[in-house]
Amino acid sequence: MFSRHVTKDISAYCHGELSNEDSKRFAEHIISCARCRSEFEEIKLGIKLAEQLPQLSAPDHLWRELERLLAKQAETVVASRPTFWTWRVQVTAAAALVLIAGMVGLWIYNSRTPSVRTMKPSWQVKRLDGTPRIGSERISNSGQLAIGEWLETDGSSRAQIAVSSIGNVEIDENTRVRLLETHDTEHRLELARGKMSARIWAPPRLFFVDTPSAVAADLGCAYTLEVDDRGASLLRVTSGWVALQLKDRESMVPAGAACETRPGIGPGTPYFEDSPAAFREALKRVDFDNDAAVRSAALTVMLNEARPRDTLTLWHLLARVNGDDRVRVYDKMAAFVPPPPGVTREGILRLDQQMLETWRHALESMWIGGGGGKMMLKPVADAYWRTKYGLSRRLKEMMPK
Amino acid sequence: MAMAEQLIDGSIIEACQQGDRAAFQLLFETYKDKVFSIAVYSSDGDRALADDVTQQIFLKLFTAIRQFRGDSEFTTWLYRLVVNACLDERRRRKRWLPLGETVTMSNPGEKKPQEKHYARLEVAEAVRAAIGELKPKFRLPILLKYIEGLSYEEIATVMGCSKGTVASRLNRGHSQLAKRLSHLNNPSTWGE
Repeated sequence: MFSRHVTKDISAYCHGELSNEDSKRFAEHIISCARCRSEFEEIKLGIKLAEQLPQLSAPDHLWRELERLLAKQAETVVASRPTFWTWRVQVTAAAALVLIAGMVGLWIYNSRTPSVRTMKPSWQVKRLDGTPRIGSERISNSGQLAIGEWLETDGSSRAQIAVSSIGNVEIDENTRVRLLETHDTEHRLELARGKMSARIWAPPRLFFVDTPSAVAADLGCAYTLEVDDRGASLLRVTSGWVALQLKDRESMVPAGAACETRPGIGPGTPYFEDSPAAFREALKRVDFDNDAAVRSAALTVMLNEARPRDTLTLWHLLARVNGDDRVRVYDKMAAFVPPPPGVTREGILRLDQQMLETWRHALESMWIGGGGGKMMLKPVADAYWRTKYGLSRRLKEMMPK
Repeated sequence: MAMAEQLIDGSIIEACQQGDRAAFQLLFETYKDKVFSIAVYSSDGDRALADDVTQQIFLKLFTAIRQFRGDSEFTTWLYRLVVNACLDERRRRKRWLPLGETVTMSNPGEKKPQEKHYARLEVAEAVRAAIGELKPKFRLPILLKYIEGLSYEEIATVMGCSKGTVASRLNRGHSQLAKRLSHLNNPSTWGE
């Protein structure tokens, strides 16, 4: 976080023009430097805009006019040359025409063969076990996954994908993933079923995974994501933060925590994996049960079982429960960590955004300082949270309509 | 490099150097859209002027190609010709255009976009206009990057400057584009 600013390298980073070492230094710096991150966002927008610049078509009449001008030039030349020279030019032109026709034919032939696939943006895939497939082709040692193509593993195969230059993803057995997008400002996979483990060292908000029940947005982290046959998923974060979102429902999941999602509902509430089993079981009912009475009873279990560190879960629940249930959640949290100055009971109960953030800030050291996950420096965690609302907006933009 | 550009190998260049019209037509067909695009964006969207500039570039190319010795990539040599022609034209116009004159991007012959692409094309139009307002030293690296798909090293060779200068100018260009078009930073703009 004390390294020198990297603003002058932003475009070069986005265009993949930096060395691996410089890219890593860039990514590490930008996560903890608000100033560079702000410029990064601006330049990413500039790049996105510049990418819209279309190549124009030259008008058809240009060649005719050019030919006329060339003919004028040639007349003078031809008049001053012996006849055999004209004959030679014509023979050369005829030979060149035959050559060109051949090359054009070759080009058309090539454009219909699969080799052109390598011209499209693609990611390198390495076989780890068995024989994974890209589309219908089995890969022996390595292959290329182009946009729109599926990578599939069976019960005995595994593969590793190099995510551009920003990280890698391991694909477990019985998994199906598709490359949706890869360019300077966004890399996106679809996980239809199975399990993947991602390790990303890029700045926040470059790598996304679409699942049937939520979008996972990387905020500089390592995590595993599983999707079952019903489309429900389980996210487990081992370092950094990951955001899960479906429409307006969003969960921010730190290292050591997990979060489940359900089709049609979206992400549930994040919880620490070392929280009491009864707490986790009750949370499942609070998140996904249709019966309000069952949910309220489950909340009682949760509040009885909660530890101070489980304020991560309670803080997210504040906005997800109503009336008396919200009051009960508030009272439990206040018993663990009293709200800091400027944060009032009334403000929290009416979900005042500023007050919720201030309280979250006071609680955060408890969330990132313990448990099984990798410990994160507080300023880095702050940086992740500062991106939260920008991220939320961006995720909404990207959700399938 | 685009597939069409791969067709332009040593034998085609040699044929052009010997005055082969068919080979030159192939060269023209391969690069005309890229050259024309840079000419349009460098002349504030004035397509008539861009027509003239493109013609002049290819005429010059036809004459000067005999001097091409293959010491550098042909594309680098060509784009240097293009950049110099655009800068010359701009300097010439600067002397004659009255202050405050603006030229709008218009192309009545252009096909109407399909409805679903309309928003995206509007963005493209706004970007074209914003690019036109950039200083040439910021605009040309952007055009060489996004229209021609050149690497930083290739842009540096074409423009006769260092890679670091290219990176810095692209940064400034991107930043200015983002500032001028910050109102487009919302999902509806992108037709999403």
